[in-house]
Amino acid sequence: MKDQTTTQDLKDRLTLIETMISEGRRTTESWGWTFVLWGMAFYVAIAWAAWGHSAWAWPITMTAAVVVTVILVSIKTGGEAETTLGRAVGSVWLALGVSMFLLFPSLGIAGKLTDPHLFIAVASGMLGMANAASALILRWKVQFGCAVIWWAAAVAASFVTGNQAAVVFIIAIFICQIAFGVYGMIQEASAKSHRGTAHA
Amino acid sequence: MPDLPELNPVIHGKLRLALLSLLTGVEEAEFTWLRNKTGSTDGNLGAQLARLEEAGYVRVKKKFVNRKPRTLYRMTDAGRQALTEYIQALKQLLGTAIDT
Repeated sequence: MKDQTTTQDLKDRLTLIETMISEGRRTTESWGWTFVLWGMAFYVAIAWAAWGHSAWAWPITMTAAVVVTVILVSIKTGGEAETTLGRAVGSVWLALGVSMFLLFPSLGIAGKLTDPHLFIAVASGMLGMANAASALILRWKVQFGCAVIWWAAAVAASFVTGNQAAVVFIIAIFICQIAFGVYGMIQEASAKSHRGTAHA
Repeated sequence: MPDLPELNPVIHGKLRLALLSLLTGVEEAEFTWLRNKTGSTDGNLGAQLARLEEAGYVRVKKKFVNRKPRTLYRMTDAGRQALTEYIQALKQLLGTAIDT
């Protein structure tokens, strides 16, 4: 085999292995849009609850957001590879979603969600935890910054007035959902345009 | 003079080597993803994956998502072991080539 194979060919094969291993580990998933979608859903729910005075604003908007997310994910999924990293991050967000969908409707039905401070502090704290876990898995400082903002919002909501807590929540949604989601989408688009095909 | 290691002929093919290397970084991958990453044609890719499957280096799973067929490939323990041994042999051969 050695006689037939030149040293340069052997080196090329080592380079090919390294290139393909690193190419395989690159995430192909696009999740920036989900942050924007959920940020918009939060705004719709806040506006509907504030001006429509409807107890159904949050349950209906959040359920609609889940349905839209599931539909878009099923449309977008395809031609991909599942990585351990992707599954770990996905699990964090799925666990957050299930926790929120169990906790808040339960508190609401039981009539114990009357204090807006409680809702904003708990929701912000949970979002901070999910963003921090995701950021630590992905080693993504920008997302960890979002986690810090959510935690700060959770602490602030515990001490300020109801209206101020709502303002803090709206600002945190804008930075950590809308702006971060758009930033993520730009990063994903940029990564895709710079990625060349590794011919084998 | 030490005996030179033999390079596994199943892995030695460039496309098969690329496919096994790609599969080390993921749990499982779709046919289309492997095609996009390697820039290979459907026919050639299918033939090389069949060869790897025959050797027991990859496992194939077919499923339907939204009524569309999906073919997923996963590296087996034997495939991982074979690639590790191939890399070690490659490094040994390169070391010998540099020494001489």
